[in-house]
Amino acid sequence: MKHFSITLFLIFTFHLSAETILLKGGLVHAGNGSSAKIQDILITGNIISGVGQNLTIAGNTRVIELNGLPITPGLISPMSNLGIVEINALDVTRDDESDLLKAGFSIFNAFNPHSTVIPWNRSNGVTSAISSPGESSFPIFGLGSHFLLDGNLEIKGSRDIAMFGRLGSSYGSRAETISILESLLDIGAKVSTTPVEEILEMSLAEKFELQSQDIIALGRVVNNGLPFVLETNRAVDILQALALKEKYSLNLVLVSVEEAPMVIEQLKVSKTPVIIDPMDNIPNSFDELGSNLELGKVLDQAGIKIMFSTQRSHNYHLMRQGSGNAVAYGMSYESAIQGMTSTVAEVFNLGNRGIIKVGNLADIVVWDGDPLEPASFPKIVMIDGNIQTLASRSSKLTERYTNKEDKPSSYKH
Amino acid sequence: MKKTALLSLLLFTFIGCSESFDVDLPFGEKESINPGIENAFASTYKPMQSEPVLFKSANIYDGLGGEYFNYDLLISDGKISELGKSLSEEGVLVVDASNKWITPGIIDIHSHMGVYSAPGVSTSSDGNEATSPVTAEVWAEHSLWTQDPQFALALKGGVTSFHVLPGSANLFGGRGTTFKNISQNIIQAMKFPDAPHSLKMACGENPKRVYGNRKQSPSTRMGNMAGYRNAWIDAVEYTDGMNETDPDRRPTRDLGMDTLMGVLNGEILIQNHCYRAEEMAMMIELSKEFNYKVTTFHHAVEAYKIADLLADEGICAAMWADWWGFKHEAYDMVQANIAIIDQARNGTGCAIVHSDDAVGIQHLNQEASKAMAAGNRAGYDISKAHAMRWITSNPAKAAGILDQTGSIEIGKDADVVLWTGNPFSIYSRAEKVLVDGALAFDMNDPTVQPITDFDLGIIQPQTNRAQ
Repeated sequence: MKHFSITLFLIFTFHLSAETILLKGGLVHAGNGSSAKIQDILITGNIISGVGQNLTIAGNTRVIELNGLPITPGLISPMSNLGIVEINALDVTRDDESDLLKAGFSIFNAFNPHSTVIPWNRSNGVTSAISSPGESSFPIFGLGSHFLLDGNLEIKGSRDIAMFGRLGSSYGSRAETISILESLLDIGAKVSTTPVEEILEMSLAEKFELQSQDIIALGRVVNNGLPFVLETNRAVDILQALALKEKYSLNLVLVSVEEAPMVIEQLKVSKTPVIIDPMDNIPNSFDELGSNLELGKVLDQAGIKIMFSTQRSHNYHLMRQGSGNAVAYGMSYESAIQGMTSTVAEVFNLGNRGIIKVGNLADIVVWDGDPLEPASFPKIVMIDGNIQTLASRSSKLTERYTNKEDKPSSYKH
Repeated sequence: MKKTALLSLLLFTFIGCSESFDVDLPFGEKESINPGIENAFASTYKPMQSEPVLFKSANIYDGLGGEYFNYDLLISDGKISELGKSLSEEGVLVVDASNKWITPGIIDIHSHMGVYSAPGVSTSSDGNEATSPVTAEVWAEHSLWTQDPQFALALKGGVTSFHVLPGSANLFGGRGTTFKNISQNIIQAMKFPDAPHSLKMACGENPKRVYGNRKQSPSTRMGNMAGYRNAWIDAVEYTDGMNETDPDRRPTRDLGMDTLMGVLNGEILIQNHCYRAEEMAMMIELSKEFNYKVTTFHHAVEAYKIADLLADEGICAAMWADWWGFKHEAYDMVQANIAIIDQARNGTGCAIVHSDDAVGIQHLNQEASKAMAAGNRAGYDISKAHAMRWITSNPAKAAGILDQTGSIEIGKDADVVLWTGNPFSIYSRAEKVLVDGALAFDMNDPTVQPITDFDLGIIQPQTNRAQ
C-alpha cells in the first residue's frame, strides 16, 4: 500500500505511443491571463514542446491545420463527483459518502474510470477534475482527489489534494459549526507534536468519534498547507471563515460565497481564492440573500482568483456556460478562461497543467467556436498528449436514433 | 445518508406530475355542464398602462420560424400592431433597436415558481400534495406566493409567461395554471386571461418511490398504471353522471373528479411528467383507452426514441438541453433530443425547451442555443429562427395560449423582448421586456425593475436586495 500511494500521488506517465503533433494556426487562449493570439502548438509525447509561429518540426510530425479555431488548455473542474457518482438517486452507484470517516474520508480508491459521466464531460472539453466527497451533517466531509479523465484503468491523478467542508445554515447552529471546526483544527495542530495514537484518546477525538485517518488529514490542513475548501455564503460567515484562516494559517479556498461583494475588501486582503457558480442568483436560503449575477465581476475586479462550479450534476462542462454568463455580466474574458484552467491548477497544486506553455503537460482542447458560448463544442480533446475519443454513451444513442434503417433499434450498431 | 441540499431540492422538484393536453383539440366548444366550476378563481389580470412604442430597425425572430432584418415593430394598445419598413414615428415613443434583436416573450411550460419559492425553506414547499397518489383536486395556483423573488429574475431573462405545475410525487398531481409575469399581490391578478388549466400526471420513479416507501400503492410501474386506470374509470362514471339531464341523478360534486372530467371534456390539458420512451407510449395508449388527449410530455429525456410516434399523435415534448443522470430514468440523455423531436416526420414535431428550475428559466435562450447546436452536429440543419419556436410558440401551444401570445404576429399580445444582441449568444441580455405592451423590465432603468416585498430592506434596512 505504501508503494501504491507514493506512485499515485503524482504520476507523469510518459506515453511512448503519443505522436508528435503540430496544432497549426489556432487562436490560442493560453490560460495565463493574456489575450488570445494565433499560434502553433507542438506536442511531443505528453509534453508541450513548442508554442509560437514557424516552429521547426520533424518530418514525422502530424500537422493539424486549425484555421483560427480557438484553443484552450483542457478544462479542470475544481469540484465534482466525476468517477464517484454514477446516478445520484441510486445509493448503490454512489461512493461519495462515508459512515465511518469524516475529515479523513478519501474518495480516491472509489474512482471508476469507466463511469459514463467521464466520456461525456471529456467530450465536452473537461480533461481532468477534482472529485470530492458529498456534503454531510458533519461540517467536514473529507478529502478530494484530482483525476485525469482519460478513462484508463491505470488511474492517473493526485490523491487527497484538498479537504472539503462547510460553514453555514442547514444542520444546527452555525456557532456550533464554528466551534467544531476550531476544535478539529486544534486537533490537527497537535499532529506535529503528538503521536496520532495519543490524540485518538483525547476526549474531543473520542467525542467526534475520529479515526486516525481523520486526525492525519486534519494535521495536513493545519501543518502542511493542504487546501481547505469551505462552502459558505453569508457575508458574516465569510468573515468567520477568514478569521479561521488567520488563526490557523489555513490555505483556505471558499465555495459559493454569494454574499462576497459585501465583504469584498476583507476577501481581497486575505487573498483567498473562490469557487463560484455564476448562474446561481437565487436566494436559495437565508444565507444567500445577496445572490447576484454580478458576483463574478465584483470578485474579478477585486483581483480575487475565481474558479467555477455548476449546479448541474453530471454536466461539469457547463462551467463554460457559467463563466460565459459571468463575462456577460462584467467579468473579464481571460479571467473566465483562467478560472477553468490555470487557476484550478495553481490553487490546488496540480503541477504543470492548466497553461499552454512549453514544458507543460499537453491537456489541450480545440473548439469549433468561442469556448464560452455553450453552443460551441470541442473538435479535439487531448490529455497528456493523446487525442481522446469524443464518443460517449450519449453520442452512441444519438447515432442509433438518427439512423433511419428500418429495423429494431437493438440492431442498429 | 445525506445528499447535498441542492440535490434533494432537485429531486424533490422533480417529484411532480406533468399535465398534457391535446394540441389539436379545440377548447371551449362543448357547453359546460357546470359553468360555476370554470368561473371559480377566474383571472382578474389587467395589463399595466402602456403608450405606443416603435422599435426602429430591429432584427426580429417572430417565434414561428421567420426572421426579419432591419424591420420596424409598432406596439400599441398592448398589441403587436404593425411590422414593416420605415413605419411612421409620429406620436409614438421611438426606441432605436438597430443591431439588436426582438423575439416574442419567452414562455416556460414547466415552472414551480411561487409554489417552490425562494428561499427554498420548508414553509414555502407548497408544490406537492404528496399525501395520496391521486390529488387531482388540488390547484397549484392556490399555493402561489406572489412575493417569490424568482418571478422578477425570470422576467429579467425575458420570460413573459409561465405555466406553474404541481410536483410529480403523485400519479395525478393537480391542476396547473399559466401566468403573465407581472407580479401582483393577488394570485388571480397574475393569471393569464382565458388560459386553460392543465392536469399534471406523473410516470415512473417518483410516484412509485414516494408511495412505495410508505408501503402503499403504487410501488411499481405497473402499480402506477393501475392507479391511473382506476381513477379514469371513476372519472368516466362521474362525467356520465354529470351529463344526466335530471339534476337529481347527478353525483355529488367532487373536486378531483371535476378536474378529470375537465380533461375528458377537452377543457383541461394533460401535462405529463414522463422520462422513458415506453412509458410515454403507454400513457398514449392510456389516453386512448379513456378518450382524452395528452398535450405534452415533460422531462421527456427519452422522447427521441419515439419521436415519430409523438409527431403522429400531435403531442409536444418538453425537454432540457442536457440534464441527466440525477436518476435512473434520466440516464439516456442525448443533447440532440430536442432537435430530433423537432425534425420528426418532416419537421412536424413539437419540441419545447423547458426549465423546471429557477435558474434555467432565466436562460432558456441559452438552453435552446445548446440544443440547436447539438442537433446540427447530429446532422440537422436547424436555423436560429426555427429554434426560437422551442421557447416561444411551441410552449404557447402547449399551454393553450398560442392564440394570444408566443409569436410576433399582428393583433397578438405585445409580449416581446428586446435583446442587446442575438439571443442565441451567451453575451446577449434581455434589455427591455414588454408584457402586453407595457415595459415590465428595463436593464438600464432601475425604476423599471420589479422589487418584491421580499426584497425590501432584507439585508440592510435602508436598501433593497439587488436583483
